[in-house]
Amino acid sequence: MTYHQATYDEPLLSEIHSDNRYKVPEADENIINLIPEELRTDNVNLPVIAEYDVVRHFTRLSQMNYGVDLGIYPLGSCTMKFNPKFADRIASMENFSETHPLVGDDSIQGSLRVMYELQVYLSELSDMDAVTLQPLAGAHGEYTGILIIRKYHESKGELEKRREIIIPDSAHGTNPASAAMAGFDVVEIPSSPDGTVDLDALKAALSDRTAAFMITNPNTLGLFEKRITEIAEIVHKSGALLYYDGANFNAIMGITSPGLMGFDVVHFNLHKTFATPHGGGGPGSGPVGVKKFLKEFLPIPVVEKSPDGKYFLNFDLRNTIGKVSPYYGAFSTILRAWAYITYHGSDGLTENTVRAVLNTNYLVSRLGNDFKIPFGKLKKHELVLTTENTGKRALDLAKYLIDLGIHAPTVYFPLNVHEDMMIEPTETVSKRDLDQFADALISASRQDEESLKHLPVNLSVGRIDEVKAARQLKLHW
Amino acid sequence: MEIEDSPLLKEIGFHSTDELFQDVPQKIRKKELKIPRGISEFELTHLSQEIASMNRSFRHNFLGNGIYDRIIPSSVDSIIGRSEFLTSYTPYQAEMSQGMLQSLFEFQSIISDLTGMDITNSSMYDGFTALGEAARMAYRINEGSEILVPETMYRSKLNVLHSYMTGLNVRLVPYGISPADGTIDLESLEGKINDNTSAIIAEQPSSLGNIDRNVAKISEIKKKALLITYYDPIALGVLKPPGETGSDINVMEGQQLGLHRNLGGPLLGILSFRNEFARKSPGRIIGESNDTQGKRAFVMTLQTREQHIRRAKAMSNICTNQALFAVAATSYLGIIGPSGLKKIALKTMENSQKLINSVSRSKMLKRELNGVPFSDVILKYSGKGDLQHKLAESGIAGGIELEKLIENPHRQLKGSVFLSVTEKTGTESLEALSKAIEVIQ
Ligand SMILES: Cc1ncc(COP(=O)(O)O)c(C=O)c1O
Repeated sequence: MTYHQATYDEPLLSEIHSDNRYKVPEADENIINLIPEELRTDNVNLPVIAEYDVVRHFTRLSQMNYGVDLGIYPLGSCTMKFNPKFADRIASMENFSETHPLVGDDSIQGSLRVMYELQVYLSELSDMDAVTLQPLAGAHGEYTGILIIRKYHESKGELEKRREIIIPDSAHGTNPASAAMAGFDVVEIPSSPDGTVDLDALKAALSDRTAAFMITNPNTLGLFEKRITEIAEIVHKSGALLYYDGANFNAIMGITSPGLMGFDVVHFNLHKTFATPHGGGGPGSGPVGVKKFLKEFLPIPVVEKSPDGKYFLNFDLRNTIGKVSPYYGAFSTILRAWAYITYHGSDGLTENTVRAVLNTNYLVSRLGNDFKIPFGKLKKHELVLTTENTGKRALDLAKYLIDLGIHAPTVYFPLNVHEDMMIEPTETVSKRDLDQFADALISASRQDEESLKHLPVNLSVGRIDEVKAARQLKLHW
Repeated sequence: MEIEDSPLLKEIGFHSTDELFQDVPQKIRKKELKIPRGISEFELTHLSQEIASMNRSFRHNFLGNGIYDRIIPSSVDSIIGRSEFLTSYTPYQAEMSQGMLQSLFEFQSIISDLTGMDITNSSMYDGFTALGEAARMAYRINEGSEILVPETMYRSKLNVLHSYMTGLNVRLVPYGISPADGTIDLESLEGKINDNTSAIIAEQPSSLGNIDRNVAKISEIKKKALLITYYDPIALGVLKPPGETGSDINVMEGQQLGLHRNLGGPLLGILSFRNEFARKSPGRIIGESNDTQGKRAFVMTLQTREQHIRRAKAMSNICTNQALFAVAATSYLGIIGPSGLKKIALKTMENSQKLINSVSRSKMLKRELNGVPFSDVILKYSGKGDLQHKLAESGIAGGIELEKLIENPHRQLKGSVFLSVTEKTGTESLEALSKAIEVIQ
């Protein structure tokens, strides 16, 4: 029982020709004369298609696309868990979905309450003191967090000097990219032989030029950084701040927290940990939490509650970094995350964490005989294995899996393990799903190399020529 | 927890789930989670309905200035509600994700057609952050230390742009907008253009709401600078596309293309540019290629610009984007079609003219700005107190003060307010508005 992709040889939208009879209110044609002639156009360049054909087209395309609702989606680092339908239903309630951002606090007390409560929940879950919901994805949260760190050093008159952000080699690409975007030099440090932060390398890299150390815990190998409090101590001693990439929060929620570990700034990925749908690549949401001493730097506005119980948007933060997005963040995503937390509650959230970690460790035990799984057996929410010992390429094994109708794990990330697969089953899979996945991956490793190269053959297309795509750019129909 | 009885636990040789966390030191264990215990779906839905009812819904809407209440064909919600789209992620496994890849390729294509630009990427977060990325891109291309911005740019947009300039050696320099008709003061602009100008940002319609004929004239005076335009996509139903009037980079907010207002998020950033800038551009791009059998296939391409490969030297940090809404916009444009988009744009303009007429008898609201508004109509308000508040009492949303949007508006415009329309603005709303205004007087 795995996914069977439909194959339609679906034409492009521009290749479908039918009558467009979609009705919109009739307008006075003469109005066009109000527009200066040199600006006017009579030729809007869009395809002409019937509504029913548009719907059929996208319905067929949807059937050529794999989603969490179809089965296990073990992309490491992406936390592809089941997206509860109640959240979609709540997000589509008109009083939420049809509100304008400039309507005024009095008219959006319900939405503000949701945002306020989510700020409180995220603070509590992370042991941070204040949260902004404005950032729009994990990377955007990173950027926001780094801007806050920048402003903090600036307020202390140290920005001139503190030009560097230290990042381990196992970090996600957005970490160095965000740090560089905010104007810092990135100093990469190698991981130690056990896969965790190399304390000596960290100490050597730290100096009065360091603005921050940016990590995730558990790290991208699924390993918990046991010496995290020690790390926090030495980072702080050098006058730098400690940044938490919350992409891996599903491993620890309810068990420990970035605040307890000594982090100063954290971002959350609502589309990962809090089960909001990934939408084929987005939208996401990346709220940022900070310790008290950084609250004054948060982007404006933040949602607050007055003593008489009224919610309001506070634009008055003394040292705010300004704004990172147009309004208050990805509200409908925020609402879904609020619904997820409210539904699961303190008991359910923690249990979900335990299940996610249990499932991962079960996969470690199922796969450990056939693949080398470096850096010890005990993992948190994800595991990284290498296919090197099987003599096969990770990419080829991935294609074997998708050919069977099972979504492949992340491949070739993190960069510090060769031919790696990063597997994150999440808590929303059954033992049967896990066994099926493990059996398939093991069987993949036993195929002969040549036959793997020809896969996939059961999907709508075979292996795609990526080199051609990049060399002979065709980005338009 | 029943999970303690899980067969998986025994399979891995553990006696209790505690052992799964033996690597988490005791002193950093969370002792207590101060969040209420979970509730059932029924209770959650009920609670949500109650909270939703704390929001006020308005019968008549005149709010706009960037986020609009436009027609959304039911089919758009239905298409993006398809769980195969909704619950998938970035198409890393291309062969298994052809549906999303082809849809995004179509988004790129349909937007490039609509705007007359060469290339469109597969989405950015929203219009403002896309503008920030466009400005960074312009700086990468010609490294000039100044970017020119209209002096009336909304504070929120300017603030986001400002954040995106952090760490670059770039100054945002305002140029003039005529307070007489809300169009670009070409003389002021020309005076600011020099060898250090990386880019000129121009808005169409202008932030004062008017269609600006001067946007098309910038390419004649811009010298080496890049022209970054920020277009209202609906206005492209009647306006020449930016690609035909000299834009090097074009940015749009796509909320109007089939998205609900959702309190202003999530939105859809649309970024298009000329061919030669492809390798300096941010964001994911889908390319057409073929499979081993020569069959047409789609795949993410130009990835060497991106964070997962280029890391600190990437063109941008963006990873998760707004793919689902790119599908919404494509479906919207496909369903509405060229004649639909034109009608919607015309109807919007017709309604802004009607709005001007229906407030013309009022002494309290005067249209002093010359020129032709698109959706946002600016009016001089001479009444006392907050108009937005007063209108709200009559079930009308709108009347936002100019000062709430723009930092230092022209003297002549101080105390103005906006009333915005769309193709949906009905006669009954316009009547309710004129009535309410009479009463307020
Ligand atoms: C470890 C890690 N950090 C950061 C990110 C970036 O998050 P987003 O894609 O939401 O921008 C990701 C996401 O893929 C990630 O896995």
